[in-house]
Amino acid sequence: MATLAESFLADLDDLSDASDREDEVPQEEEDTKMGDGTNEELDFENLQAVARLASSERYQHIMAQVKAALERGHVDDMEADTAAESAGPSEEDPTYRLLVDCNQLAVDIDNELLVVHNYIRDRYRLRFPELDSLVQHPIDYARVAKAIGNEIDITNVDLDAVLPQATIMVVSVTASTTSGRPLEDDKLEKVLAACDLALQLDADKALILRLVQEQMHRIAPNLSTAVGTEIAAKLMGVAGGLRALSQMPACNLQVLGAKRKTLAGFSTASANPHQGFIHGCDVVQKTPPALRQKASRLVGNTCSRLARVDAYGQDPAGSMGQLSLEEMRKKIEKWQEPPPAKQTKVLPVPDMEPRKRRGGRRHRKMKERFGLTDIHKSANRMNFNVPEEEFMDGEDTVGLGTLGSKGGSGRIRAAAQQQRQKLNARQAKKFKARMVGSSGATSGLSSTLAFTPVQGIELEDPSARAAQSNDQRSGTESYFSEYSGFRSIKARP
Amino acid sequence: MSYLLPHLHTGFSVDQAILSEEDRVVVMRFGHDFDQQCMQMDEILAGAADQIKNFAVVYLVDLSEVPDFNTMYELYDPCTTIALCLPQHIMIDLGTGNNNKINWAMNNKQEFIDIVETVYRGARKGRGLVVSPKDYSTKYRY
Repeated sequence: MATLAESFLADLDDLSDASDREDEVPQEEEDTKMGDGTNEELDFENLQAVARLASSERYQHIMAQVKAALERGHVDDMEADTAAESAGPSEEDPTYRLLVDCNQLAVDIDNELLVVHNYIRDRYRLRFPELDSLVQHPIDYARVAKAIGNEIDITNVDLDAVLPQATIMVVSVTASTTSGRPLEDDKLEKVLAACDLALQLDADKALILRLVQEQMHRIAPNLSTAVGTEIAAKLMGVAGGLRALSQMPACNLQVLGAKRKTLAGFSTASANPHQGFIHGCDVVQKTPPALRQKASRLVGNTCSRLARVDAYGQDPAGSMGQLSLEEMRKKIEKWQEPPPAKQTKVLPVPDMEPRKRRGGRRHRKMKERFGLTDIHKSANRMNFNVPEEEFMDGEDTVGLGTLGSKGGSGRIRAAAQQQRQKLNARQAKKFKARMVGSSGATSGLSSTLAFTPVQGIELEDPSARAAQSNDQRSGTESYFSEYSGFRSIKARP
Repeated sequence: MSYLLPHLHTGFSVDQAILSEEDRVVVMRFGHDFDQQCMQMDEILAGAADQIKNFAVVYLVDLSEVPDFNTMYELYDPCTTIALCLPQHIMIDLGTGNNNKINWAMNNKQEFIDIVETVYRGARKGRGLVVSPKDYSTKYRY
């Protein structure tokens, strides 16, 4: 967009020294009247240099085709319906090519209009500076500028066809107190020529759009039924063809056409990131704002599917598009339904429901915290014919059973966490590694003191107990003890 | 809220209501609809009635309309609630000293539901006296 940048630079220059420019004008005027490529002098005064599109060959060629197609369209309409012979929009189909070109041309015309608008604005600002802030739209501005021209008295000008009443009033009032002065004739001529160009570009764009809308139904019937011909045409244009559109993933389709303009210095934190052409379609715009993102995604997915259908020529009647449209509308309506009413739960009859007993690792671990431990179990057991040790806990007497140092194992405290669960291989390895680290000596928590009623405190050798031969171990330690049962079996003679 | 609950207008209907319920607790409120305490109790009853309808049913009886039970149950308070489950009237140990009835207006729906549930459990086991989960002995703070 070299010409656009240059025209902006021209604005800056104009602001500083307008008087200098005026002297230069008569010299350069003759040079660049017909210059397309010969005179490359960057000249901002001349419309032709700045706005090249309208005079370019490509533009004129395509416009001629468009006009021909439009005329033909009226005649061909009858035949097109009956002859559904098109085996899908093959890339060679001339109408298809024309549509693709039209799309691109539409985009170019948009850019061109911006340039021309700037040009007009710069020139006309000397005459009526406030008009720019009152009438922003480029085409309206061109029309107003053309209508007013050099007139001092606005009441002589008829703006009814151009602007709404309120704006006319504001414009007239501002014009009466404007700080601009009438333009010279040659400047005025330039402005009027630029206005004409702008209006012509606009009219051409309208023609293109009309052609596209009429032809879109033949090229991509399903897609255009679902989102409308304009958006379908834009999507096709940006994607570069129907086949390319069909090969895009649906998430890309959603953001096709998202504006990423970063005007220098202005914030990009706009309200619509990732909103492409799809967001502007009828279905999405009609949904409440909270659901728009969801709707946009839905429409994007549907469009992707329909584009694929169209690209391969299936369903030329567009019925699938119609169905999809209905489906989308129904879905969006469903989303907006209020949630089902709350129902108060009636309490169940007490003790009638069977208790849900839970299992599972987590539940078991929790039960372990409150269940009977091994220490308690061995405290509950007693060895045969051996009085258990007791200790006084306040008023109560607590017996130690097989935990006592005399009759039992002597282990008063638990050694480690009870492992009741089967560990998987990795965890078993870790556990073993930890066990290996500790020495196999007697636990430091076992007591060697015994309080016997006869002898008082008795000290015993801890290693003696460990070295006890298996014969002397009672089988009361555990229910499944190895040493339970009879000890000596007399050999039969 | 008394308009949400069924009323019984004759002694016969009261008897019939008790006899017809085979496996549900019958909760009767004796009092007047316009009395303030009764209104408060009725609100609790109306809120709870829907939730406990699987194991209890609530009726309202006007004392002036049906004076037959005044001496039988000693209904001398403005608002009295009695729980019955065939074949007997269930006594509830509320801590107030009077186990036969609730003769004040409760203010917590959940407490009431707990009491009725306890009554149901006890009645199913054949108990004539159940212990209320909450103690109301401090209801009268001196």
